Amino acid sequence: MLMNFDKLGAWRWILSGICALMALFLLLPILFIVALSFGNSRWLIFPPPGWTLKWYGELFADPRWLQAAFTSAKIAVIVMVLSVAIGLMASLALVRGRFRGREVLRGFFLTPMVLPVVIIAVALYAAFLRLGLNGTLVGFVIAHLIVALPFSIITISGALETFDPSIEDAAILCGASPWEARFRVTLPAISHGLFSAAIFSFLISWDEVVLAIFMASPTLQTLPVKVWTTLRQDLTPVIAAASTLLVLLTVVLMIAAALIRKGKSR
Amino acid sequence: MTSPHLHINGIRKTFGDVVATDHVELEIGEGEFMTFLGPSGSGKSTTLYILAGFQDPTAGDIRLRGKSILQTPSHKRNIGMVFQRYTLFPHLSVGENVAFPLRVRRAPQAEIAAKVKRALSLVRLDGFEDRMPANMSGGQQQRVALARALVYDPPVLLMDEPLSALDKKLREEIQYEIRRIHQQTGVTILYVTHDQEEALRLSDRIAVFNRGRIEQVGTGPELYASPATHFVADFIGDSAFLTGELAEVKDGRATLRFTDGTVLADVPMHGVGAQGGKAELMLRPERIDLSDTVGPPGASLPVTVEDVTFLGNNSAVTARTGWGEPLYIRLNFGHPMMASVSRGDKLHVRWQPQDAHVFTKE
Ligand SMILES: Nc1ncnc2c1ncn2[C@@H]1O[C@H](COP(=O)(O)OP(=O)(O)O)[C@@H](O)[C@H]1O
Ligand SMILES: [Mg+2]
Repeated sequence: MLMNFDKLGAWRWILSGICALMALFLLLPILFIVALSFGNSRWLIFPPPGWTLKWYGELFADPRWLQAAFTSAKIAVIVMVLSVAIGLMASLALVRGRFRGREVLRGFFLTPMVLPVVIIAVALYAAFLRLGLNGTLVGFVIAHLIVALPFSIITISGALETFDPSIEDAAILCGASPWEARFRVTLPAISHGLFSAAIFSFLISWDEVVLAIFMASPTLQTLPVKVWTTLRQDLTPVIAAASTLLVLLTVVLMIAAALIRKGKSR
Repeated sequence: MTSPHLHINGIRKTFGDVVATDHVELEIGEGEFMTFLGPSGSGKSTTLYILAGFQDPTAGDIRLRGKSILQTPSHKRNIGMVFQRYTLFPHLSVGENVAFPLRVRRAPQAEIAAKVKRALSLVRLDGFEDRMPANMSGGQQQRVALARALVYDPPVLLMDEPLSALDKKLREEIQYEIRRIHQQTGVTILYVTHDQEEALRLSDRIAVFNRGRIEQVGTGPELYASPATHFVADFIGDSAFLTGELAEVKDGRATLRFTDGTVLADVPMHGVGAQGGKAELMLRPERIDLSDTVGPPGASLPVTVEDVTFLGNNSAVTARTGWGEPLYIRLNFGHPMMASVSRGDKLHVRWQPQDAHVFTKE
């Protein structure tokens, strides 16, 4: 270690303080929104003069919000399944394969991570215009899949790299056909990677707004798009309530992902 | 003649320009413990992988009980294998690991339970069924791997340096266990190691590998007493080599002349060498004697003592021949020379005729 935290003396407190401030800075807007969603002022006054669950009531009473949430969930689930399935196959090729251009292919798969999302969005919008995919479920799924796949490939490849292929060979000599060995041994052994990939893929789609704005139509929009469009018409605390629920699901899934990782390292 | 249990018939395997194994020819009897011994990269693992079906030979055949198995895919060969690396299935308990081969064979539950129990008992891990592999030591994991490979009664068990990741003491302990398991089950074992002590301790017969070829096959004592090549003599036991010229070759016996004119007549020779060619005389430190009187011709050389080191139950003596090559002699405690020998003494080394070997040198 370059620095030993325990030996830093007074610096230790200063560093801890800086970290706490950073965390607060990052978390504050979210805490702010959560507080506002329970506040009884229509004008988003902070601190709220009183507390209420009214905005949640309005949220659940409005079919357009529910429709958007349902669309979001549907897209996120489809993206999750496809991202894990394709990510697994791509990872098998990238980790196990011995072919020319493997590194180039890996780089290619990971480019959506470094490309500005808005550029992907514009490019897809233009391409989908010809294909008639804008405003369709398929369009949404493809767009989100493009940004989710790199994360899937990174996590699954990581799990696969720590899995010794000799273990699969051992299963085969034990009498399992190559496919049986993959399904009964390799997949369960890298399941933590598959679960992490699934959670991250779901979340990426669930939270994504830029691509979604480009893909959305008046009849098909996701929750983040609904938040965004509502925001432009009318600054209601219902938005805060919707945002709070959005964040809540994200937090729950992040904790699940963290637990999976911890379970693996135990 | 009945066909051997396992016949490795002229196996050759190349990877591009690299020849991994060549002309590997070996017959293994049922219940035999055969070890492939050789340095790293000599083609031992490649031969095992071809048996396992993970690699196809470039040429040659493998016959098990008289039938070629090369067309049979790995998972149908019914062969057992313990790998160098730990290969327990990490998500399954010890019991389920051992049960795995029986489950894929769709054996009835009662039979599985009984066989798993018996296999774990065989490797002395009774009651470990519910442990997870991650919570076991390397030695325990390899023993579970052994149980898993034996639970379906394979006709051949392959072991590729299964103990190389363990420390010396544990290694010896498990070697002893492997020996007991071999005797108890009568399974035919093909064992790979680069450790001569391990090979000698475990095997009925040893095949010495060098650069993709088998140099010699034999029991430990055979390899030690009559090595067929320089490589085998060097690899098994301690040895010193003295270089000379072939003065005469007749009926597998040679007369050697060394650079200072010393002549040794009538030494058994291995390999083909023509008169005038170079050859080496091999002598083992523990098979030669030190004396102040000259021995019979062909089994004695004059030397000058250079160094004596007392090692407890023996003394290691370094001597130099008349033409300047070093020779090592081991004197057991109680040897008459042991007390008196000292630096600068001019003495004679003597040996039994069968303990000297001449190898021709290219
Ligand atoms: N898959 C492979 N590709 C290329 N060369 C290989 C491969 N496997 C083995 N070799 C080469 O074949 C030779 C024998 O290797 P191996 O059978 O593993 O030796 P050992 O087990 O005796 O150490 C070595 O030179 C090795 O580099
Ligand atoms: Mg090897």
